[in-house]
Amino acid sequence: MMPLHFKRLGLAGALLMVLAACASSNPAGSIDAVSQLTQAQTGMPLRLVSDAEGQAARQAAVRELLAKPVDAAAAVKLAMLNNRSVQISLAGLGVAQAELAQAGRIENPTFSFARVRSGDEVEYERAFKIDLLGVLFIPWRQGMASQQLDRAKLQAASDITRLALDTRKAWVNAVATRQSEQYLADVNEAAEASAMLAKRMLEAGNFSRLAYTREQAYYADASAQLARARQASVVAREALTRLLGLSGQEAAALVLPERLPDLPVAPKPFAGSVQAAVSLRHDLQMARFELDALARSLGLSRATRLVNALEVSYLRSDSNEGHRARGYELELQIPLFDWGDAKVARAEAIYLGAVNKAADIGIRAESELRSSYHGYRTHYDLARHYRDQVVPLRKAIAEENVLRYNGMLIGVFELLADAREQVGSVNAYLAALKAFWEADADLEMAITAGSPPAAGSMELAASPTPAAAGH
Amino acid sequence: MTNRRDFLHGAAAGLLGAATVSRVGAASLPEAAIQTSPTMQPPLQPTSGRPYNPVVTLNGWTLPWRMKNGWKEFHLVAEPVVREIAPGMKANLWGYNGQSPGPTIECVEGDKVRIFVTNKLPEHTTVHWHGILLPNGMDGVGGLNQPQIKPGKTFVYEFEMTKSGTFMYHPHADEMTQMAMGMMGFLVVHPKNPAFMRVDRDYVFLINAYDIDPGSYTPRVNTMTDFNLWTWNSRAFPGIDTLVARTNERVRIRIGNLTMTNHPIHLHGVDFEVTCTDGGWVPKSARWPEVTTDVAVGQMRAIEFVANRPGDWAFHCHKSHHTMNAMGHDVPNMIGVDHRGIVEKIQKLVPDYMVMGERGMADMGEMEMPLPDNTLPMMTGMGQFGPIEMGGMFTTFKVRDNQKTGDYKDPGPYQYPKGTVAYEWTGELAEPTRAPAPAADEKTVTVIKPNGHSGH
Ligand SMILES: [Cu+2]
Repeated sequence: MMPLHFKRLGLAGALLMVLAACASSNPAGSIDAVSQLTQAQTGMPLRLVSDAEGQAARQAAVRELLAKPVDAAAAVKLAMLNNRSVQISLAGLGVAQAELAQAGRIENPTFSFARVRSGDEVEYERAFKIDLLGVLFIPWRQGMASQQLDRAKLQAASDITRLALDTRKAWVNAVATRQSEQYLADVNEAAEASAMLAKRMLEAGNFSRLAYTREQAYYADASAQLARARQASVVAREALTRLLGLSGQEAAALVLPERLPDLPVAPKPFAGSVQAAVSLRHDLQMARFELDALARSLGLSRATRLVNALEVSYLRSDSNEGHRARGYELELQIPLFDWGDAKVARAEAIYLGAVNKAADIGIRAESELRSSYHGYRTHYDLARHYRDQVVPLRKAIAEENVLRYNGMLIGVFELLADAREQVGSVNAYLAALKAFWEADADLEMAITAGSPPAAGSMELAASPTPAAAGH
Repeated sequence: MTNRRDFLHGAAAGLLGAATVSRVGAASLPEAAIQTSPTMQPPLQPTSGRPYNPVVTLNGWTLPWRMKNGWKEFHLVAEPVVREIAPGMKANLWGYNGQSPGPTIECVEGDKVRIFVTNKLPEHTTVHWHGILLPNGMDGVGGLNQPQIKPGKTFVYEFEMTKSGTFMYHPHADEMTQMAMGMMGFLVVHPKNPAFMRVDRDYVFLINAYDIDPGSYTPRVNTMTDFNLWTWNSRAFPGIDTLVARTNERVRIRIGNLTMTNHPIHLHGVDFEVTCTDGGWVPKSARWPEVTTDVAVGQMRAIEFVANRPGDWAFHCHKSHHTMNAMGHDVPNMIGVDHRGIVEKIQKLVPDYMVMGERGMADMGEMEMPLPDNTLPMMTGMGQFGPIEMGGMFTTFKVRDNQKTGDYKDPGPYQYPKGTVAYEWTGELAEPTRAPAPAADEKTVTVIKPNGHSGH
């Protein structure tokens, strides 16, 4: 028996060595792959922190980022370094990677030795056992685990991209609410000046109690508005702090810039968004990948039409305005097969289910892109309109009113009421700019991670703030 | 006198039928002279017809005429004009022959006058000859006495001047709008006998008022009482001509009021008598001495006096709002209001903010602050001793020993003989004894300079 035994061992050993070479349990490669998938949104490579050294490096990087005012890019980096969900995603990759490695391994061979004495006869039995069936199933198990790992990578990339974009939105919100709070503080100060002046007018005998009380009431309202703005500002900052994973002193050290970045000189084109989505969007990639895998595992190879790629069709030329263009279509082409054999009816049903799921994802992605782009472009135009039209007009009105004040054509209270309206217009611009940067993040999400939040129900740019309500 | 030219202005120009008076037709019409300078033109001495002593129109002129077959022929052209209200401000008005008000028409008792009226306005008009006794069909009330003169058309008025006196002309078609836009003119009928009621200088002007939003150029025509520019012959201080006289000359000033309110016209330095109204000459026995005469709406008054005191004498409407230019009537009174600690707060929002009115409004007369376009300061003007702090219906009447007869030029500031100007006391100042002031309580009414009421 022995020769047979050892012969087998030799075969199994060779197999084992081949398999061991192609499936490591180290997830570094997978993490790199995810890093690459998310690089555009995160701006940095991802690291799994698993030891004290890594922890120290992370803390140093966080300290360095917190030393300066944190802009949007730095905020995303902080989230990547610090937000525990990133580590959870990366650890998940480790699990999938280990399972893949495990799938390539043959169950440990068993060596048994038995000494059997039967009367005077002693028989030695040596056995070297290998799970042959297991060895035969290795390629199949490995295929499953490899699919699982690919799926895990895409899932991690999607989760991490979402986190990056959510962080960017939270940053925009935190900066904008803080800025808005400062504008309302200006309004409040103007109201305070009116109120102080009214009080002295009353004392000097130049104002009735009614006129005086009106100014006080306005000031009281303005103070309430300021308190609300302060609350909103704190809530927004804390939401960002949580996404950045900051605690204690780090949270206190967080300094945000004074203002939001200005609008880009030109909006992104719609075509670019569609093209980017084809290669980036994670749910599309996953659908394509699963169809492939399913086709393989069901032994389907004779495809009648096998164009397993996502394509972009150019339908109509893009107009100058561009943002209503429907000129691009995102297409998920799905291979269909000649089934022929009744035996594979079950396989057909499974496959068709997956086909429809993939088609559904394609339709959704296309519509979400159109909708997100429209939101992006509308908010771009609105913010530009506020910046180039509304605010300059208000400013011109304010300047004319100073001239009228100089000529004693209007009084100081009218001048102040107008100044408050001017501040209100700047605040409305700020709201429009904030909505634009949020729409920008949502569009990026529709291009990369998948469905943006509440697609289609985006809030349009704020009406002039309550500050605009003169009295 | 400049030549007739098409006066094209703004959007209205497109509506004007400049070409509608044919050359042939025009050849038979007397020349429609035009004047666009806002400075006072010298008196127009008559070269034909009956002799008379001509008048002088403040910031205006007299319309030339021609004699034709015993008729004195004039040609008025109703048209849009641009009038300088005072240096620094122009107004889009309607007027006659290049100006608002139109030229003064002068003629003599007994004259047969024929007045051609060409309409170059975008809407119809008529002319009413205020105070003249004439045939009913010549009275110029649109619809009532005649069809209106359509744009581009020319009408002829013919009548005989049966009495001498002080009159005016103005539209009686869409009257409110056309008068709010400045359509009016003076009309003087001299006595047949030039020696009757003879004076050395005879000034005429009309009182008018506009509501021009600061920063704009065209009057708001529907304003009823809250006008913001109070003018004489569509001019406001410091744009109103100075009146001059040689010492001891006999002077007449004829005033007509076509605003919506009365004006107590006040002249410093003389006692005068009202010698004529739009109803005719006032008999000597009915006159009394005054220093202020109220000219009610639609009235005319001629005052006469001997200018026997040399100097620069103020001449103005006595309604103090009427000697101001545009201002806000709702501006709160800041007098006595302490601004400490507030100015900085306001300047944070309005960097160019300056405190005004904390002590009163005199600052306005001194400070030169940037104002809206085409806007006159509320009070302005500089005299030899400082700011004059006036606007609107204010000018000076200058009497000089050496002013030449017939010379209407402004002789400049009066050279005061030594010791004749009020002076500052520089000697000892004993603290005067005063009764203790009552303490203020919550019922105390603080009396302050009135401000912020509406209307005049
Ligand atoms: Cu007056």
